[in-house]
Amino acid sequence: MLAITNGRIYTITQGILPRGDILVENGKIVAIGTGLPVPSGATVVDATGKYVFPGFVEAHGHAGVMEDGFGWEGRDGNELTDPVTAHVRAIDAINPEEQGLRDAVEGGVTTLWSTPGSGNVIGGDGVTIKTHGRGRTVDEMIIKYPSGLKAAMGENPKRVYGNQKKMPSTRMGVAGVMREALAKGQNYLQKMKRAAEDPEKPFERDLKMEAIARVLRREIPLRVHAHRADDIMTAVRIAEEFNIEITIEHCTEGHKVADELAKRGIRAVVGPSLTARSKVELRDRTLLTPLVLAKAGVEFAIMTDHPVIPIQYLPFSAALAVREGLDEEIALRAITINAAAIAGVADRVGSLEVGKDADIVVWSDHPFELMSRVLVTIVDGQVVYQREEV
Amino acid sequence: MRAITNGKIYTITNGIFDPGTVLMDGGRIVAVGEKVDLPPGTEVVDVKGAWVFPGFIDAHTHLAVGGEGFGMGHADYNEAFDPVTPHLRAIDAVFPEDVGLRDAVSVGITTAGVTPGSANVIGGQGVVIKTQGRTVAEMTLGPWGMKAALGENPKMVYGEQKKMPSTRLGIAAVLRDQLVKAQNYLEKVKKAAGNPDKLPERDLKLEALAEVIKGELPLRVHAHRADDIMTALRVGEEFGLRVIIEHCTEGHKVAKELARRGVSCTVGPTFGARSKVELRDKSWRTPAALAEAGVRFAIISDHPFSNVRFLPLFAGLAVREGLPEEAALRAITIDAAALVGQEARLGSIEAGKDADLVVLSGHPFSLKTQTLYTFINGELVYSRN
Repeated sequence: MLAITNGRIYTITQGILPRGDILVENGKIVAIGTGLPVPSGATVVDATGKYVFPGFVEAHGHAGVMEDGFGWEGRDGNELTDPVTAHVRAIDAINPEEQGLRDAVEGGVTTLWSTPGSGNVIGGDGVTIKTHGRGRTVDEMIIKYPSGLKAAMGENPKRVYGNQKKMPSTRMGVAGVMREALAKGQNYLQKMKRAAEDPEKPFERDLKMEAIARVLRREIPLRVHAHRADDIMTAVRIAEEFNIEITIEHCTEGHKVADELAKRGIRAVVGPSLTARSKVELRDRTLLTPLVLAKAGVEFAIMTDHPVIPIQYLPFSAALAVREGLDEEIALRAITINAAAIAGVADRVGSLEVGKDADIVVWSDHPFELMSRVLVTIVDGQVVYQREEV
Repeated sequence: MRAITNGKIYTITNGIFDPGTVLMDGGRIVAVGEKVDLPPGTEVVDVKGAWVFPGFIDAHTHLAVGGEGFGMGHADYNEAFDPVTPHLRAIDAVFPEDVGLRDAVSVGITTAGVTPGSANVIGGQGVVIKTQGRTVAEMTLGPWGMKAALGENPKMVYGEQKKMPSTRLGIAAVLRDQLVKAQNYLEKVKKAAGNPDKLPERDLKLEALAEVIKGELPLRVHAHRADDIMTALRVGEEFGLRVIIEHCTEGHKVAKELARRGVSCTVGPTFGARSKVELRDKSWRTPAALAEAGVRFAIISDHPFSNVRFLPLFAGLAVREGLPEEAALRAITIDAAALVGQEARLGSIEAGKDADLVVLSGHPFSLKTQTLYTFINGELVYSRN
């Protein structure tokens, strides 16, 4: 048994305990309250005067897949040889010992939707994992797989395949390739259904189509990379045509179409907001986007898109939105419970509640303060990081 | 005349006046202190307790030459087809309407070193500019120095082209070779003693490098790994050059060597991912280690490689890892000014210096601090409203 005592506890979903305790057993939170009796023999993490938060959740990043500190040897996020690679899986490229995952743990980010990149129109299956990888296999890190199929609109696929003189080299082409893949998926499901009714009917297993079928059956969302407002609306149009669930990833110009997203209940993951405007489609990026989305009633998470921005700066990204007027509580939800919901794991992580995974981080100060440091990171009830004093 | 009154004024070189007043006229600071007599007719900006700093300085960027918002395909800072291009000048690629410059002004960065990239062993001449202006001529403050680069970047660029240099050996050889050519060129000019029959033909590359040999321009060497830093120091000593180390990622490993030789450096971009092997030991503790050893340094964004608008926060992150706050502030003000050769005009709030000022809602190292006003040459160039 593990006890975190006397901390200022931000549960996210059930308010703040100014001086609270958390008891942990078998990797789960078993009690939260004030003045809880600590069972004898329990390991105690004294959080007196410290801030206690659930481990933060990065709803969209590439840690594990795009390895920090390596060149091409560690870059496994984009299979740029075919614009539709629905059958590739991030799970097969994750290196548990990767430096970015270690930085996540040391930065208080304990859950990640690790995803293929945006070079392809359909890039492959992402996976929701715990970031604690040292000494573990990827299978031990998985919380949920599959948890979203990655797709991309706009400049990235255009550039990659335009350079290869292949379709898609335009936005028309991107949408065309996406619709075609979804229509093939529908045909596949149709054949599968007919074959189930009549074994004489032809049916062959196809891994690409299987992945797309999961989206068409609404088992997982299609998570669509879209920066510009017109790309966001193309994604929305296609989603309605095929009756699939989508999320908008990056959502850079989301402030221009916030009402359209709100009206349809479409969720977004905003970021990375800390880079330069490295592409034309980022020209209208602003730190005000989260505020505008919140006002319109769009549910959203904030991301670093690691390694685009290193994952340990997730709380900074949220704090800068607060600087521009976003409510602090909403900013915290954007890196905890909302992010967990979008990654399909809100039942396990994203808040401090009895029955949830004991992913708990003790901070020296509020994580939206620049000088705040992670003192202790706990994943599944185990202390996996403890800051050494300089 | 214009005065900022009721500010918490960080002069950097002369303590804090709280509350204090800064009086400006003709683009210069005329007076600063707790009590400053304001001549009749002075326009008063009462900042009501807000924080006032000298305009911040980012000593190493690719602002205005990076093609930001147009796609990096429009970037104009690497002419990556010849490893030796000392005759290139960043000034010829500066785009005054660059969005990055607008971002810089919005957080109170009023001066930037703008440099060619690091694809080439000798990349060309940088320029020091104010971050706001209509033409590059009116923005220019002076030369930044001659850019050189060691390590992975030139190796990668020319290795892929199957040209020399494709190794660290090759890079040092190319660098030495050019410096010797410049020495020979200078020797010929000297021997000609003005005799047009004996003067060598004009050569823009060697002319530019001759300024480095004569010590008129520093050689500013991009070096991440400690071994690359030491190569830069070695070559610098062989040719008697003024060397500045750029990036200095593993500077914490050789801080004493830098200090012993009085070599200054710029540190950054520390914020990004470890996108190359030579960045594996990158750490926010480097500035603290350099300060402890007595090395003068600036903290840089290397925009667009980390975003210029977060430069003050980068200095704050170095504080979190042990750098004294005062040293961190100097690293984006007076020490950065010294590293771009402008400490006589910029980097502190002192009478006689340029009226480049930033007014902030809080401490620059807080994530929640907003920029209220930015002044360049005494003119209001940014206001939050």
